[in-house]
Amino acid sequence: MTHNAKLPSLSRRSLLSGGAGLAGAAILGSRILTGPAANAAPSLVRAATARPQKQVHLAGTDGWVSMPADAPPDLPFFPDSLAPNGFDTYVFGFRDVTGMSSTQAAAQRGKAQISAPMLDFDEEDDVTITLTNLGLLQRPDLFDGHTLHWHGFVNAIPLFDGVPELSLAVPVGRDLSYFYRPHDAGTYMYHCHFEDVEHVQMGMTGMVFVRPKQNRTPVNGDPAGSKYAYNDGDGSTRYDREFAFLNTELWSAAHYRDAHIQVSDWTDYDPSFWLLNGRAYPDTIVPNGNPSSTAAGRLQYQPISSLVRCNSGDRVLLRMSNLGYQNHAMTVDNIDLQIVAKDASRLVGRDGTTNYITTNTVDVGPGESRDVIFVAPAPGEYLLYDRKYSFLNNGGGPGYGGMMTKILVGTPGTYGPQAAANS
Amino acid sequence: MNANDRGDPMSFMAHLSVRRLLVAALAGAFALTAAVTSPQAVAATSEGLLCDTNAQQTFSMTARDGYVSTPDGNSLYMWSYANSSRGFQLPGPTLCVTSGRIVTVILHNTLPEATSVLFPGQKGVKANGNPAQPQFDPGGSLTSMVQAAAPETGSVTYTFTAGTPGTYLYESGTDVDKQVQMGLYGALVVRPAGSPGQVNDRPDSAFNPSTEYVFLLSEVDPDLHLAVERKQPFDWSTYRARYFMINGRSMPDTLAPNNASWLPGQPYGALVHIKPYDPATNALPSVIRYLNAGTVNYPFHPHGSDERVVNKDGRALQGPGGQDLAYLKYDFDVQPGQTVDALMDWRDVEHWDALTNPIPTQIPAITDQLLVGTDTWFSESPYLGIKHALPTLITSNNECGEYYHVAHSHALQQATNYGATFGGMMTVYRIDPPAGCPAK
Repeated sequence: MTHNAKLPSLSRRSLLSGGAGLAGAAILGSRILTGPAANAAPSLVRAATARPQKQVHLAGTDGWVSMPADAPPDLPFFPDSLAPNGFDTYVFGFRDVTGMSSTQAAAQRGKAQISAPMLDFDEEDDVTITLTNLGLLQRPDLFDGHTLHWHGFVNAIPLFDGVPELSLAVPVGRDLSYFYRPHDAGTYMYHCHFEDVEHVQMGMTGMVFVRPKQNRTPVNGDPAGSKYAYNDGDGSTRYDREFAFLNTELWSAAHYRDAHIQVSDWTDYDPSFWLLNGRAYPDTIVPNGNPSSTAAGRLQYQPISSLVRCNSGDRVLLRMSNLGYQNHAMTVDNIDLQIVAKDASRLVGRDGTTNYITTNTVDVGPGESRDVIFVAPAPGEYLLYDRKYSFLNNGGGPGYGGMMTKILVGTPGTYGPQAAANS
Repeated sequence: MNANDRGDPMSFMAHLSVRRLLVAALAGAFALTAAVTSPQAVAATSEGLLCDTNAQQTFSMTARDGYVSTPDGNSLYMWSYANSSRGFQLPGPTLCVTSGRIVTVILHNTLPEATSVLFPGQKGVKANGNPAQPQFDPGGSLTSMVQAAAPETGSVTYTFTAGTPGTYLYESGTDVDKQVQMGLYGALVVRPAGSPGQVNDRPDSAFNPSTEYVFLLSEVDPDLHLAVERKQPFDWSTYRARYFMINGRSMPDTLAPNNASWLPGQPYGALVHIKPYDPATNALPSVIRYLNAGTVNYPFHPHGSDERVVNKDGRALQGPGGQDLAYLKYDFDVQPGQTVDALMDWRDVEHWDALTNPIPTQIPAITDQLLVGTDTWFSESPYLGIKHALPTLITSNNECGEYYHVAHSHALQQATNYGATFGGMMTVYRIDPPAGCPAK
């Protein structure tokens, strides 16, 4: 959080922004869709090549989410007394406002989601992601910036890397367009890097995938439309279905203090909930939702399901990533897991030696990712969970919770072709 | 929140520190730090690995106490190993030796309790000529994991044959949880015989010797250090690290040059300073040697580039037939006691150029930018080697339009100074234009 109470900061920021932090809401409406992306002049490169153009518009703001209903109170931190009905935890987060009018986008202020929208692109796409800072509805006294850090993007330039101390941040009421031309397939993450220890913990975290060129030219006699995790050359990363998991922890006390105009000592970090895609078990197995619809009730702003559904014999890709601050040892009983990549790099030596790892436990450290493939076994239910059992509860309460979800395996034909990751 | 939110005197100190840093960075760019002359020569350089080397591979180290400073103005009481001909330093000297040759380390103890050195991964370790062995008291209780030097005035001479090429952590083997937390650790770099420009015996581990770095990662609970200084007991169940370091310094002190005069007990910087990969003029990668002297994993994340793990714990990643099992990572989850050697370069893939290949987006007008802090590393330009003006109240740390990327622990509470963001276990990678910054 950035207060405007300190004189040195205030004077500098007043100079820079002309007081826009305070007047941001008024300026916002005219800014959102007339920003740099819309004004960008065609460059020689863009004219000379026919790369697919992908445009995404994200907004950063605050909001309220819900931890599982049976979690015991941890007063005053949880449930938060300021939370609107049905919710219990204050967050910061992103929303996908692509295609919205400026008025519609501005109306998402105070309606952040966790985890952030999953993004996916193809190798060699020209990707422009415009980030708008909508400000914090619960904390109008703060004028925190936001940024977009594509975590793991190789050979980045600082302007598009999202570290405010080394480039710039987006002030309240403004926007910034980040440009990426991804050349390397794999599983990445994105997050805000403004006062990162706070904004990441508060929920400004999501996943982004880059799909390989090999999807256009199947190998190994695979039929057209085959999907691969990497340009493997041998079909070893082909999959039928993909499911992505962002592991994070949630420290209720810090979220409470952000809502209640208090500060946290982050070295006291002591999380209360352990989440997959922003939800704790059993919410993890609830179907995907839509943050623009109230249909999902208390999970409206946690729209990403972690339920795995597949048919016996399917090759299933699990994209595991971690933007928490603790290690997580993800495991599945009775199914062998094959790690084919770490940190968006296939496990292959410079001489072409593949070194995939077959295991039952996949350790994912903070800031790391893993691509894991399994072949769905006989129909049944299987659990995917963090083998650190102390992370399998909700707020220290009884019963199962935390970083756990289900893998449902049906007989062949039970589930039709997958339309998108996690569906 | 950041340091200037906290409303305490420490935040003012943090800003002072940044300003001191800037002055130092400018000075360091043009004036190499004076050589430390001693029988055990230390290369004179302001950046990168500072090795203690010796033709006989014989080193004299003194375990002693001293103080280090943190960017928020705190002062920490430490124990560490020092080269016996120099003053206190944290961490212990980086010893660079050749694989397969005999190494001698003479340890002198000035601390109030016995201490020792463990050399994991080395061959035939002896203490005063006897095989290195755990030590037990008459009742059978373990007193030290290796022969120790007695308190105050003791000494012990360790000899060993340097192990397989790579990086090793040497640490105290006595009262280990306390003494290692107090700072008794250092890095041992073992170079392949005949191939000092390689990490290991494989030619594909060659690196640019002018861009070689050690990142020795550690943490401090200041309450424990205060208790030791005051000779008071410490309740280990209350242990909680508050400071997180690379080479004994926390961000932004990590960016100061080696042997910075204002960090007298913390001689080793962690600024990585490179140029873009070029097949003709800059083909060899840099090497970063990660070591963990702490109590938990440190998931270290460099921005802007993958790094290729070629060695772990002093062993090349290769198959039985020499197959290459190295792999690229964007985050190195270094475990306690582990070492990871990684090759890195940064490639100017898009070659953005203001005239011939402009970025497809626009930088907002200065009034639509949020620049944080009283200083910035940003050039106000997307183009390598191009620098534009900043508002006059913001200090520029950018010399000629070079790029900067951070590298930090992604357990983000470790990237703080006692909770204050943009500190702790963090440093910066500086990428200069291919021709370098013009001389002023």
